[in-house]
Amino acid sequence: MTTRAVIDVTELPRHEFDTYDPVWWGNNLLLAIETSMFAILIATYFYLRQNFQLWPPPVAQLTATLRPLPELGYGTANTILLLLGCIPMVLADLAARRGDRRTSEIGLVICAICGFGAIVLRSFEYSAVYFRWDSNAYGSVVWFMLGMHMLHLMILTTETVLLAIWIFNREYDMKHRVDIVTVAVYWYWVVAIWLFLYAIIYFTPRLG
Amino acid sequence: MIKTMSTTLHTCKRLVALTAALCFSSCGGIQSAINPAGPNAQSLSRLWWWFFVVCSIVFVLVMVALLLSLRNRTRESSELVAPVLEPPAEAERRRRNVIISATTLSGITLFVLLVVSFSAGRSLTADLPHKNGLNVDVVGHQWWWEVRYKDVDASNIFTTANEIHIPVGVPVLFSLQGADVIHSFWVPNLAGKKDLIPGKINNLWLQADKPGVYRGQCAEYCGMQHAQMALWIVAEPQEQFNAWRQAQTQTSIPPASDSLKRGQQVFLSSTCVMCHAINGTPAGSNIGPNLTHIATRNTIGAATLANTRDHMAQWIKDSQSVKPGNKMPQNNFSEADLQALLDYLQSLK
Amino acid sequence: MSHEEEQKDLVSHKKAQKAQERKAFRTTIADDDLEAAMEGERQELERTWARPTGIRGWFTDTDHKVIAMRYIKTAFVFFIFGGIEAALMRIQLSRPNNHFLSPDQYNQIFTVHGTTMMFLFAVPIVTAMGIYLVPLMVGARDVAFPRLNLFGYFIYLIGGIFLYTGFVLNTGPDAGWFAYVPLSGPAYSPGKRVDIWAQMITFTEISALVGAIVVIGTAFKMRAPGMTLNRLPLFVWAQVVTSFMIIFAMPAVMLASGFLASDRLIDTHFFNPAEGGDAILYQHLFWFFGHPEVYIIFIPALGFISPIIVTFARRKIFGYLALVLSLISTGFIGFGLWVHHMFATPIPQLGQSFFSAASMMIAIPSGVQIFCWIATLWGSKLNIKTPLLFVLGFFAIFVLGGLTGVMLASVPLDLQIHDTFFVVAHLHYVLIGGSVFPLFGALYYWFPKWTGRMLSERAGRWNFWLMFIGFNLVFFPMHQLGLNGMPRRVYTYLPETGWGTLNLIASIGAFILASGVAVFVVNVVWARRAGIVAGANPWKADSLEWSIPSPPPNYNFHNIPVVQGRYPIWQMTVDAPVVRGLSTTKRETLVTSVMDAQPELRFDIPGPSIWPLMVALGATVALIPGIFTPWAFLVGAILTGAALTAWFFGDPNYENKTARETGERSETVSRTPELQPKEV
Repeated sequence: MTTRAVIDVTELPRHEFDTYDPVWWGNNLLLAIETSMFAILIATYFYLRQNFQLWPPPVAQLTATLRPLPELGYGTANTILLLLGCIPMVLADLAARRGDRRTSEIGLVICAICGFGAIVLRSFEYSAVYFRWDSNAYGSVVWFMLGMHMLHLMILTTETVLLAIWIFNREYDMKHRVDIVTVAVYWYWVVAIWLFLYAIIYFTPRLG
Repeated sequence: MIKTMSTTLHTCKRLVALTAALCFSSCGGIQSAINPAGPNAQSLSRLWWWFFVVCSIVFVLVMVALLLSLRNRTRESSELVAPVLEPPAEAERRRRNVIISATTLSGITLFVLLVVSFSAGRSLTADLPHKNGLNVDVVGHQWWWEVRYKDVDASNIFTTANEIHIPVGVPVLFSLQGADVIHSFWVPNLAGKKDLIPGKINNLWLQADKPGVYRGQCAEYCGMQHAQMALWIVAEPQEQFNAWRQAQTQTSIPPASDSLKRGQQVFLSSTCVMCHAINGTPAGSNIGPNLTHIATRNTIGAATLANTRDHMAQWIKDSQSVKPGNKMPQNNFSEADLQALLDYLQSLK
Repeated sequence: MSHEEEQKDLVSHKKAQKAQERKAFRTTIADDDLEAAMEGERQELERTWARPTGIRGWFTDTDHKVIAMRYIKTAFVFFIFGGIEAALMRIQLSRPNNHFLSPDQYNQIFTVHGTTMMFLFAVPIVTAMGIYLVPLMVGARDVAFPRLNLFGYFIYLIGGIFLYTGFVLNTGPDAGWFAYVPLSGPAYSPGKRVDIWAQMITFTEISALVGAIVVIGTAFKMRAPGMTLNRLPLFVWAQVVTSFMIIFAMPAVMLASGFLASDRLIDTHFFNPAEGGDAILYQHLFWFFGHPEVYIIFIPALGFISPIIVTFARRKIFGYLALVLSLISTGFIGFGLWVHHMFATPIPQLGQSFFSAASMMIAIPSGVQIFCWIATLWGSKLNIKTPLLFVLGFFAIFVLGGLTGVMLASVPLDLQIHDTFFVVAHLHYVLIGGSVFPLFGALYYWFPKWTGRMLSERAGRWNFWLMFIGFNLVFFPMHQLGLNGMPRRVYTYLPETGWGTLNLIASIGAFILASGVAVFVVNVVWARRAGIVAGANPWKADSLEWSIPSPPPNYNFHNIPVVQGRYPIWQMTVDAPVVRGLSTTKRETLVTSVMDAQPELRFDIPGPSIWPLMVALGATVALIPGIFTPWAFLVGAILTGAALTAWFFGDPNYENKTARETGERSETVSRTPELQPKEV
């Protein structure tokens, strides 16, 4: 059997943005996994809700039967922070596509700061929920939702910081520009998931 | 070729017949879903036979098709055959049509089975609240059945364990709950099973059309002694049932003789009272089976042993040897105490 | 014509041929040096793709074939363990009131048997077949994410060792392979038994998810040019469908086991009815995963069957499109069945009816596949070798199992046969018939490719018949036992029940089945040294893996082929079109587009790396001590994070610059303008 060359791929690049690159597929498959997980977690929230007359359940020790709705302060601040954090991330994303190193660097740094801020605010959100994880099923599921998302915030912030460090100190080459775009997708996803969780945790109890 | 085909078929037929004979040899018997004794199980048994016949026909058809496709067998090396990438269009079209027909037929068959299944299911659940000639609560414990007969008249309510008497021809509505883990209430001669789930209530009705003893068994793995958590349903004519029920609502027979009094004393002063209740005495715990009328029950240990004096002695002394891991501790009574206790327990009719 | 004239003709003919080749290669190298140049390239590729050696080499080798073989061997060892557990159970149940095993031993053994077979054998081995064969079938030099693949293996191995360590130390899980709450909860399963189970789930589920990402990445992005989706081998389709099912199903079991673990370790109340939790929630979460899980085990086996049938029938598959659509629809519908495991719970009847209908309807795509395969076999001159024999066994056993599945799909009928030995019979008919028999067929079929030697045909026939007869003897009587009232998971039964005879028959059958498996093991050991040497394509099959030597070189393909049809080898022209331009001095493969396989990137394949092992060990620190203290998660997370950082940012094997930046050219071929790949 003889062979003949019909396609020459010498000139092909090594990395490209979006669906061209296997990294895009790997990242989005991971996000698909996590989205399924959050979807099922949300379903669990509503399933458990069926077991309760009042949701959240009343707090035992207060004299009046109070429905302790989760306080809006920290959660709303966090939501706003995350949404605002999308702006530098979009700028870093577009800059990476253009090849603009400076903007990418600044964008990543600001995003990392927003990420840290979100983690701090998230730590306070737990106290805004009147129950602990071991008080009742409501407490368990809400802490779990906040906790799983916090895990993602931590991973995201760490990735952003590390990538920023690399961009500052080493090459701003195609591979890492693709990485910036990948982290940006992760950022948008973390924020989008949070919008759902925020609405569910803070507002569905208020809707009665 | 043809000769080997027919001998193969012949062997197959004999194998099938042998297997069938072997399997259907144990067709009857207690605790069998295809030996129905009530309308519920009867409906399910009929459904079973419907499905069995249809599925068997499908299986045979597919196997025949498969065997026919092997007609052109050869021992020659297949590498010598050039692969066919353009089979004759006519033959391909014929195959396509056969497959489309077969698929459509399969869909229709499945649909018919679904409809038959639905209607059987509806007959089981239709009118459920009115299937209550008798109301019984069953609470599943590790590894025994707590049975509570309910009634509008409070004096007719009583608690027993592991043996359920029902009148023949009367629908009985069971309300099922789990006390600790999930169990499943299953008396195959009379009905399908339903799970007993902590925190939930499940309902099941059944009816016995013939008097008899029907054995049931827990059908959801519930821990160490899941294998020995069985129960009896005793179906008897209405008068007999009424008499039984009447007796069960009485408090325990007070001990008459000295030996019986001693036996009761042994019971009340040892760990027995921690778990077992006997109405009419200070023993009121419901952690274990209610013993008020223990002598009327046919079995002990959740249908593990026949209720004889020897078995009872063995059970009291060392139930762990019969049902390892069950919640009842071993007891070290003196021989005299043990005999007195046995006398007392055997008097609790 | 005289002899000399013939010779002259031959020489000039050869010269003309060489001139043709030279023109084809568009090379300026002198013809006699062409072969030397090819050989030189091959040697360079060998050097570039050389596997690391020694102990460190074992821990860092990212070659997908090596990893896949490890998976297969490890999974087979677990299969043997699971089989031994089954044999012990069958001995205990062979007579009523038997005392061979204590109740505690029996309960641990049936739990570990199910857990081993489902999590440590079935899913890993079918994924491993994909990891080995998908790159070869699509024409790639490696998988899309080799280091992730290696990580997946380690995490699986550690999880399996963890489970068995617990088992051997008499703290094996004993709540069943699906561990229902409240039995498996903190109140009724004290100690660490169920925690070991729950964490092992985490290990194996991560491994499966990783395998799924690797398979999808490879099948979508690393196909040879010309392999459009329309030409994708059915084996690869099955692997892709399975991988997507893994992606969407595994998170449910992650939550089920995670909630269970947190209920047990940190007092959450997900399943505690006293505080608003729900025991049925666990069942929903588990079975939302659990039902797709059995299709995850079954669908790859459908992918084994198609190529074997095509090869032995010596014709193209009948109904390619129907088969693809059936695979996809089985995958979809498989997500809509899970409540059929819960018909005995107080779920409202209307809901149950939907799942009953779906459970019956899923028989239709399976049926279509059976019909298409029979149509392919029909009329062909069949030389029935062992792979095809196992496929025929699949038909008989799986169809029977599928039909009992239709029975179980009926809600009222299920209420009699649910949780009895009827279900045990059904599940083994569909899993062993539907997955293990095709798997054995596949092992016989691809063994020559992996090792360069054929397995013994004679032993193969003994293997098959012992397994087939033994299997039916074990499991057919169980249908009757279930109808006769024998529930599942009972360590003993009373003589009065009359179940003794059928149980004895089943137990005898178990040893016949086991002897069949033993014949297989002997066959493998013998064939490795004394089997007939297989060439590249001993079965004269059609797909790309048969176009390279057996066993394949580390780099798989010297030149990435350009695929000309669905049956690449059968449709290959005499001078096969290939791709030129990939480096021989760096590890590279071609990345192409998803739909039409147009070349897009020259993708760097990372070389051996220690970081996958390090990340696996970091995760182990989080997960294993994590069943004793929650702080282990923190420590483990930090270690894992550090290892991941080193993985992504510290690997020197990664080439960052584009071809344009380095000005790189392939040395043996000069560019011709009309063959530029599509501009990206």
